Amino acid sequence: MWLPALFLIIGLLLGFMTNMSIPDAYTNYLSIAVLAALDTLFGGIRAQLEAKFDQKVFISGFFFNVSLAAFLAFIGVQLGIDLYLAAIFAFGVRLFQNLAMIRRLLLEKYELYRKAKKVRNHNI
Amino acid sequence: MKNGFNKQHVAIGIVCLLIGLMIAILFNTNHQTIDRDTRDTWEIRTALLEEQKIQQNLYMEIAEAEQTLQEYQDQTEHQQIESLKNSIHELREQAGLTEKSGQGIIISLEPMFLEEDYQEYPEINAELLQLLINELNAAGAREMAVESQRVINITPIRDVNGNIYVNNSSIGELPTKIHVLTNDSEEIINHLEVSEIGDYFALENVTMNISEQSDIVLPEYDEQIDLQDVDIVDVPEEGES
Repeated sequence: MWLPALFLIIGLLLGFMTNMSIPDAYTNYLSIAVLAALDTLFGGIRAQLEAKFDQKVFISGFFFNVSLAAFLAFIGVQLGIDLYLAAIFAFGVRLFQNLAMIRRLLLEKYELYRKAKKVRNHNI
Repeated sequence: MKNGFNKQHVAIGIVCLLIGLMIAILFNTNHQTIDRDTRDTWEIRTALLEEQKIQQNLYMEIAEAEQTLQEYQDQTEHQQIESLKNSIHELREQAGLTEKSGQGIIISLEPMFLEEDYQEYPEINAELLQLLINELNAAGAREMAVESQRVINITPIRDVNGNIYVNNSSIGELPTKIHVLTNDSEEIINHLEVSEIGDYFALENVTMNISEQSDIVLPEYDEQIDLQDVDIVDVPEEGES
């Protein structure tokens, strides 16, 4: 459970310490890729909470979503259509849905935990 | 986490690592430090000195204008007319509407014939002439004339059907003479010799002969100055760099 969080922090630290940056022209691609990655991450957390987590789906989803988002942005630039807005919209909506689901699941779990505690106390 | 680091955890960890890295890079890219002022004290002092010079010039201009104004106010009607006439004369001189003479240099652009079997008669183009005039201005020329055409602030130099037109009249074929009035002929000659302009002319098979003259007469600008198409350009305010 703590390993992914640890790796996330290591990644953040690595990025900040090396002070890496990319040319301005590619910021669009990276931002959309980050959004896709965050979407996958929250999707994974939700699936874990729903006990439906599948590693293959998670990893393939991550790489596929990120590259698809970047590709969409690329096509958009080539065609002169702001297609990356579509990707931002789609991922944004999904991100919020996932967050809402995670919140509900956590609340449900908390309720269950409280009930279980009450029952235990009652039994004692 | 029962088995410690199993394959599954490592794979998810790497994905998380990538996400973190991407976020950090994006953050770094969006929070680039703005260019810092890295000038040292000496450079800042030089810049300050330059600005002070500009300021002083402006003050001097203001003082001159105020003096003229004072003169207008203090004088009798007859004297007022006299000083107005003086001002007009000065302004006409500044605008290039009067003949002007003094020391300076004459640059003559002449065809350069190489020892080749066949060579076209060399021509220059308006851009080259503009370049030369810009160089002369940068080197400190006061007044200029191309052939018999006085160069003023709004003088157009352009190619019209293969001829170069200065002030809406052709300056003809080579050789062409450019008369330049200056206080320091030496400086302009040195400037022209070290600049690349000679090479540019040489590419067109044209040579530049520069001679110093103590008495040059520049013709007046003989057309109407038409400011109809002259617009005020956005000039950055003083002090803005």
